[in-house]
Amino acid sequence: MSSPFDQVIISESGGEVDEIELSLLETLDHVLNRGLVIAGEITISVADIDLVFLGLNVLLSSVETANEVLRRREATDASA
Amino acid sequence: MPVIAIPMTGSRHNKTGYYVYCVAESAAAEQLDAASFPVAIEDDAKLEWVTAKDLAALSSTVPLDSYGEEALAEHLGDATWTAVRAMRHETVVEYVAKRASLVPLRFGTIYIERAGIERMLAEKGRELTQIIERLRGREEWGVNIYSDRATLMSSITSVSPRLRELAQQAEAASPGQSYLMQKKIDTLRVDEARFTLNRIVDEVETALREQADDASRLRILKVETTEHGELKAKFAFLVKRAGFEEFRAAAERLAQQHVDAGVRLELTGPWPAYNFTTFEQT
Repeated sequence: MSSPFDQVIISESGGEVDEIELSLLETLDHVLNRGLVIAGEITISVADIDLVFLGLNVLLSSVETANEVLRRREATDASA
Repeated sequence: MPVIAIPMTGSRHNKTGYYVYCVAESAAAEQLDAASFPVAIEDDAKLEWVTAKDLAALSSTVPLDSYGEEALAEHLGDATWTAVRAMRHETVVEYVAKRASLVPLRFGTIYIERAGIERMLAEKGRELTQIIERLRGREEWGVNIYSDRATLMSSITSVSPRLRELAQQAEAASPGQSYLMQKKIDTLRVDEARFTLNRIVDEVETALREQADDASRLRILKVETTEHGELKAKFAFLVKRAGFEEFRAAAERLAQQHVDAGVRLELTGPWPAYNFTTFEQT
């Protein structure tokens, strides 16, 4: 039987692709739904963010879209 | 005579906005090596600190023809576009969070002018400093609790004396009675399963709160069913770096303790403290 405990550590280098894939939606959930909101002079209205995430959630379930994002993220990491 | 066409770009198209990722202390910001920064949200722009007294906001320019309100709404509908930008935002914040205490800002914080960032730092300086102080030396860890329904249901029957007794009676009863009793048993099992799961979730939360400085129960935006079962609860804990091993060990112990009930714990992180950035608004 597999362990009932999973630890997903996010490493700066990006880690193994499986690991990044595993944490992609988790990461998007963090970035898109949380963090300090500062009102005024902001161009994205905060109320829309949940909807954006839900849309992404559905679209990224398609493996192809997720892979494209991961490839671009790798390119990002490589050029960093 | 050659005619030189001058593109009629409205001033709108040349306008630049300032995307802000996080706020840190100026002293800590100065220590960071800008040459090794990750790429900005638009990869042709450079990350730079905008400083006002002892606070600094990490920022990069974005073209307002992509990041203005209307254009952005359109782009956000494109999953790949948005996901790539969100990952870049995250990569930048994580990079700084590993090296300095900071306040992570939500994705999509864009100022029309640089001076707007300076004004924000000055106006909200007290609160920002308070958050930076509270988060110093700490990281956010996520704990997801999954439940495998089949395992949970069978564990209920095996541990509940009342259900065992009813099951025995049902076996001995006439077929008609047995059918009715079985229906009753099914209803009771569902109730007990729900009760048991809620108790386990509460237990995990209480036990891990003791190992953390702060905790927050998060919304589950979508019902997620994975190979580990259904996602039942999501928590974020603010944990001292120095206390992480104890926190991790406690989480692992809890996972072992509830494995027979089909419960699985997933620990994710370290995250910038996205869920612990509230301050009293004035």
